[in-house]
Amino acid sequence: MAKKGMSRRQFMKAGLLTAAAAALGPGVLKPTGLWAAETKIKGPVKVGYQTVMSGTLAGYGEFHKMGAQMAVEEINAAGGIGGVKLEMELRDSTLKAPDAIQNARYFVDSWGADFLAGVDSSGQALALAPVMAELDRVLMVTHAATEKLTEEHVFKNGVRQVFRMVTPTYQDGYAAAIVAKDLPIKTWATISPKYEYGFTCWEMFKSTLAALRPDVTFTAESWAPFGTTDFRSHINTIMDAKPEGLYSVEWAGELITMVKQGQQAGLFKQVKEVMLPVGAAMDVLEGLGQELPDNIWVSGRYYFLYPTNQANNDWVGRFHKRWQHYPAYVSEAAYSTMYAFKKAVEAAGSKDTKAVIGALEGMSLDTPAGTRVFRKEDHQAMYDVPWGLTKSDPKYPFKIMGKQVVVPALACFARPPFDGPASKPPFKS
Amino acid sequence: MQNRQAYLAAAALLVGLALLGLWGERFLLYLAMRVMILAIFALGFDLLFGRTGLLSFGHGAFYAGGAYGTALCYLHLSKDPLLCLLAGLLLATALALIVGFFCVRHTEIYFAMLTLAFGMMIFSLVWNLREITGGDDGLVGISRQAINLGLAKLPLRKEGQFYFLVLSCFGLVLYAVHRIRSSPFGLILAGIRENHLRAEFAGANIKNYRLAAFVISGFLAGLAGGLGVLLESNAAPFAAHWSHSSEPVLVSLIGGLNTLAGPLVGSFVFIVLKEVVMRVTPYWMLWFGVVLLVILLGFRGGVVGTLAQALGRGAKEARS
Repeated sequence: MAKKGMSRRQFMKAGLLTAAAAALGPGVLKPTGLWAAETKIKGPVKVGYQTVMSGTLAGYGEFHKMGAQMAVEEINAAGGIGGVKLEMELRDSTLKAPDAIQNARYFVDSWGADFLAGVDSSGQALALAPVMAELDRVLMVTHAATEKLTEEHVFKNGVRQVFRMVTPTYQDGYAAAIVAKDLPIKTWATISPKYEYGFTCWEMFKSTLAALRPDVTFTAESWAPFGTTDFRSHINTIMDAKPEGLYSVEWAGELITMVKQGQQAGLFKQVKEVMLPVGAAMDVLEGLGQELPDNIWVSGRYYFLYPTNQANNDWVGRFHKRWQHYPAYVSEAAYSTMYAFKKAVEAAGSKDTKAVIGALEGMSLDTPAGTRVFRKEDHQAMYDVPWGLTKSDPKYPFKIMGKQVVVPALACFARPPFDGPASKPPFKS
Repeated sequence: MQNRQAYLAAAALLVGLALLGLWGERFLLYLAMRVMILAIFALGFDLLFGRTGLLSFGHGAFYAGGAYGTALCYLHLSKDPLLCLLAGLLLATALALIVGFFCVRHTEIYFAMLTLAFGMMIFSLVWNLREITGGDDGLVGISRQAINLGLAKLPLRKEGQFYFLVLSCFGLVLYAVHRIRSSPFGLILAGIRENHLRAEFAGANIKNYRLAAFVISGFLAGLAGGLGVLLESNAAPFAAHWSHSSEPVLVSLIGGLNTLAGPLVGSFVFIVLKEVVMRVTPYWMLWFGVVLLVILLGFRGGVVGTLAQALGRGAKEARS
């Protein structure tokens, strides 16, 4: 995706400008290099990135960092953004809302950030939205998935500064339900995080699956608070209810712990179908290795072997070479975020927040995950991510997706005006 | 003589802060507001800890009481910031009255453990009553509306405007705590700390005095919580957690116990130090801890105590 060198048209433009400048004399026009035509962008483009760097979920932060840093290196090696350097500073978000706000204020008011990115938890994203309106900087969310961020803050309250690079809870809840409708089982239960994200996903999963399959019932719920390390009581609650299917949006270190403890308790032998909407996250795949059971449904916000095209394969290769890891979805989102800023700033010809928002709205961006389009109404990036069944592969030290099902974003993302059943899947057309 | 110096220093501080409010940058104002809010929290706390000799590990609960009272009033009743603050203060004070009633019967480690237990009970309530408190996600979307004065409206939306509300509260609290400390009531509190048996024999109902100190410090914690919500536009459950309750303990220890300047200096050091350490390393928690350790071990009696001692020694040497 990186722009290596210049296209012919740009070369001609630069050449003509240089010629014109030479003709007019050095006193009139001063092209200062190849990008002289775009000198409107002043100083470096500064991106303040915050993600969780401490605690059991710190693995996610590392993956954010790898993707973001790699993009910064590539962009700067290829001439920067509109000829100026891209700079990034990274801060620990600790997953607490007050810390996220303090970071944002530091980035904008003290460090002088032009753009903000990152943010893992939904609670943080919701608390940040009004602050972004006040600070008036674009925030590209690369992980937090709550649909309320884009539906309520962006669409209804008009916080135009917030964008989201990754699939929201729609992928975890609605798309999961569309996959689950074809599974031959009738009872579902959940162990999910005891906060916004967990409650929302389960609600979406239930409402859509109930609409598609009136014969399905939901038999048990167990809510694990943030920081849970012992899932046994939750696993027992579920096993006592004897559901045929288990749906869980536990993530990162907590999902790893839950799967390991579930294995010990025989959970995966008892339930027929398991759906883990964020089970295909690289830290989970790597963290569980061969301990992740075969034939369970996993997804993410990007899966490193999808789409199977040259661009994605090349990127995964470069990433692996640079970091000795395969990319997690947050790495891809962080990486693509830097290119989104690059494309938008170059299109707008300035770092000015209003101009960049204008450029980002409706913008289409080629990324490793495929072509993303930022929906104008709610600033949500539209792209497809597969659901798949886990299987072993001798080429990888962890489980990958075997059979894949792609629910297109158009079929599973809620639609504006985000009001009433007509806005939510299943859609008629 | 010394009193006059202290008044001059306080006046200089407030004037300096006011000038900062007029000309400071947005981030500087934000930091200054966080220092002042923490100082309000710590001033109240020190009245109980430094003055009365009761170490509470549950004051985060009253901070959260103020925060959630303010946020709930904003979301459900009225958007007037003063009314919301009042609601927060009422909730915090009521909580302090109930918790204090049970806790002040004990002292030392029993008192500390009781306050810790009550604090964590309130935390788990905040954490679990998701319909009311938002659970883990807290209450978000609180913006600062203008104060309605009848004839005119006083806008607070911008940092520079809200700053002066925080500064006024800070000034009032500073004065009030000073008055309390030098009043007969404050002297009895110190007497209770020094020897509660003697205070009791002198005719003081020490339970009532302790409860009064407890409620005043809970009230001030609530004020800090309410202002914090208006500053950060959200109320988070971890405000009630013991880890937050330990903040004023640390601040008191850094600054120095039982002085007016201690909590102020402690708050300043706490916030600014964290800000500096975070700039140097993303693994700031570790280094922040190390630096705190050095301060706590190196400055016996806190920064203020050590400085006062050094100055006192200097003055003595100069005299001799």
